[in-house]
Formats: sequence, C-alpha cells, structure tokens
Amino acid sequence: MIDPAEHLVVDCDWHYADTFDQIAPYMPEPWKTKFQNSGWDSTGVNQGLSAFFPTSTGNRSNYGKIDREFSDYPQGGDEKADVIEGMEFLDIDATLQISHLILAMGGVTADDRRVESFIKGYIDYMLAEVLDPAEGIYGLAPLPYHDIDASMDVLDRIEDERAFKGVVMVTAGASPPLGNRKYDPIYERCEALGLPVVYHTGGSGLDDYVRAGYEEMIETHTLGFLESNMSQIVSVACQGVPEKFPDLDIVFMESGVTYLPGLISRLDEEYLKRAEEAPLLDAPPGDYISDFYFGTQPLEESARPDLLEICFDMLGTEHLLYASDYPHWDYDSPNIITDLPMLDDEQRKDILGRNASEVFGL
Amino acid sequence: MSDGEIEVGAADAFADGDVEIIEVGRVEVGVIKADGEFYALRNQCPHDGGPACEGPVEKRLVGEWGGPGERVEQRYGDDSIVSCPWHGWSFYLETGEHIGDDSYVVPSYDVVVRDGVVYVQTD
Ligand code: FES
Repeated sequence: MIDPAEHLVVDCDWHYADTFDQIAPYMPEPWKTKFQNSGWDSTGVNQGLSAFFPTSTGNRSNYGKIDREFSDYPQGGDEKADVIEGMEFLDIDATLQISHLILAMGGVTADDRRVESFIKGYIDYMLAEVLDPAEGIYGLAPLPYHDIDASMDVLDRIEDERAFKGVVMVTAGASPPLGNRKYDPIYERCEALGLPVVYHTGGSGLDDYVRAGYEEMIETHTLGFLESNMSQIVSVACQGVPEKFPDLDIVFMESGVTYLPGLISRLDEEYLKRAEEAPLLDAPPGDYISDFYFGTQPLEESARPDLLEICFDMLGTEHLLYASDYPHWDYDSPNIITDLPMLDDEQRKDILGRNASEVFGL
Repeated sequence: MSDGEIEVGAADAFADGDVEIIEVGRVEVGVIKADGEFYALRNQCPHDGGPACEGPVEKRLVGEWGGPGERVEQRYGDDSIVSCPWHGWSFYLETGEHIGDDSYVVPSYDVVVRDGVVYVQTD
C-alpha cells in the first residue's frame, strides 16, 4: 500500500469555487457593467426571480450537512491561498482547476453572450489571481462551444499561457451533441495545440430539459451526471471524433466508472446490428471509448469489488485519472485510490498522478 | 459434378442479388450473385442463428469526411454485403467477415462457374 503523501498526486478536477463578484470585473463589456449593476451579487441568483445562469434542483450542502474547511463552497469566494491549503490537506501536488459556476452553463439556451463573457472573464481572473504552475495550480479553460467563434477567441487567449493545460466542454445541455461536425474546428485546433479536451458532466439540466418533476438531488445527481456524459460519449464515438482527430486526447470527467462497461456493451451490441450508421469507425465504438481517459471521481468504492475490477480491466488503469472534485459535496481524497485492494502499487501511482502528468504535459 | 463440389444450377438463372440456398452436408449455404460474381456463405448467423444469407444483398454504405466542419457524406461503396434479416448483422460477401467487427466471420466457400453451371466447392 502506498502513501499518497510520498507520491505524485495530480488532481484532474478541482473546482475553483468562484463567485460572480470575482469574475465580473474581468468580463468583457457590456456584461462587466451589466453584471455589476444587476443586483445578482456573488452567486448570480440573488434577485428573487432571475439569475445569470439557470439553477438546478436540490441543495448542494445537503441542508447544512456538508462543510469544507478549505473552501467557501458552495457559496463561493475562494482565493489562491484556499486552493494551496486544500492541496496540502489532501496531499495533492498539482491540480487542474475548473470553474464551479460554469457547470451551470448547460441551462443557458439563449443565443446571447452570457457564457462567453463569463468564460473570458474567468480566464483573465484565473490568470491574474489564481493559476500558478510553480505551486502546481493549473487550469482547464471552459469553452463556450455553442459559439465556435467565441471558442476560437478563448483558444487564442490561452494558447501561449502555460498555466492552461486543456479545455473543458461541459456535457450537460450540449445540443447538438458534441460529436456533431459543428464542433470540428474546436477539436482541430485543440489537436494542433496539443490540448486535451476534458468533457465534464454537470448537475444542471436533467430536471430542466430532459424530464421535469424530480424532487431531490439524489435523483437528479445520480441520473443527470450519467445522462450528460453518456450522451456525449455516444455522440463523440459514433460520429468518429477519434477518427477525425486521432491525436486529440479525450477525457471524460465525474461520473465514476461503473456506468462505462454497461454503456460500452450496449453501444457495441447496437453497432453489430447497425454498423453502417457509424461509417467513420473501423472497429466497435467501445474500442474507441476505451482509448479515452476517465476521471475516477466519484468512485463507486461501495460497489462489488469484482465489478470494479471489470471496470478497471475494460478501461485500463493507464486510462484512469485521479480526480478529487474538491470542494464539491461528494469529493474523493487520494486514499480512495490507494485503498483499492484490486490494484497494485504501480497502478495506484499511475492513476494518482503519472497518467495525468503525461496526458496534460505537466 | 466432381468430388468436393455441389452443383447449384445454371449461372444465367441468377440475377444480381439472387440467393439460392443449398445443403452442404448438414449445413445450409447461401449462393449469392452480386455484381456478376458468385459467392457462397454459410446460411447461419453467428449472432443468433438466423438465416444470414436470406436478407438483402447490397453495396455497403460508407462515409466520406470532407474535413473539419464538413458533413460525413454517405454513399454506397464498392463492397457487396448481405444482411441477416433477423437483426441486421451484415457480412462482406468476399470474406464472410462482419462489416463492423471482423472477429465474427461466416464461413465462406469457393464458387466456380463451368460451362454455364454454378458449383460450390466443399473441400
Ligand atoms: S440472428 Fe442474424 S442478426 Fe441476429
């Protein structure tokens, strides 16, 4: 058994608990001024009946049960010092920061500049105030992928910034799904820049635009995260993104691992019956999906050990990336990986840090 | 008929896309004409035992990608396939391989046409 404190630990999914008050001064106009005059305040919702980003069902702190020592999550307002303290607490050497607030972007269906403005502000804010490669604090740049020109602006902005190690596409709400040719220019550019695409699921959406009426977060969080990732995995694989852009590294984040054998098996079964509908593929889609990388969190450590073993075997431990999701309510510490009895120490070290170090070029 | 051959019938009785099911020992074999060529495949689908040769004989649909942002255009390619009518598994007539996963193969047989008569070779 290894001690995470003695080995490289790279956290591929740390959520910077940002606030709109922090980001708004960095947004491009007119949103810089509009937001500051909006009355929405730090959470972006503080005006009763309206909000900057739509909200979703449930209470993330589980009605006061969840508390974070090194973050102001869920309200937001973290600073670089909070991140450093939290990393020390969890024995994490390097983190890839992902905005907490951007995870709600999937709920924005209007053709306006809210998402783009938030992202541009977030990137400038993070570069100015938080990211610091010397401290192991790196970033992933969210993309306003519904707007290809705006996404290209973001890629222009980060391409020479060595603190940004990849991009994020929030899987919740992406319509058309992310295998569509519309997104090809993004993939082409990321492939050329050597930036991995991290597809990050999101809690918003299931209750808003898939099926209304869920009452509790245990329902929407269990299902919504899976639905969002599964939708995009199927689209990205079947539409041949890995064939079109063979050097693009594809990472899916934050739905654990047990959903993947089921999804792969079902998709491959369909493929045998309808192979012509995925004409760019040279092999069953599962062969491509098992070349993707997957964040481990929230790892289903309560699952039957033999099920986890099958998951690791199908996906390959060289394709798994430790992710804490800190400070979110269901975060995993590195011990989640080191405690797994079915892994050997080399596999634990791969998952904890070595794989990510290679994928993200840290 | 010589040893190791089974006579199927007159070649000119086949139109393109026609299938004739014959018995070879204890198994059924589909003799198929496509693009003027004859093929013979075991008429038993590796999926669930369906009559693999009794579905449509077509060209395989292929996709061509014109580059980033372009649609993947579909067209019928050069390879002839037959699709099992039970659930659609499709096999190349040339090799018997499943079109999406070559680890599934329907056994194939050589076919000769001599003096206007089609024979399946069973050796
Ligand atoms: S039995 Fe042939 S496709 Fe199912």
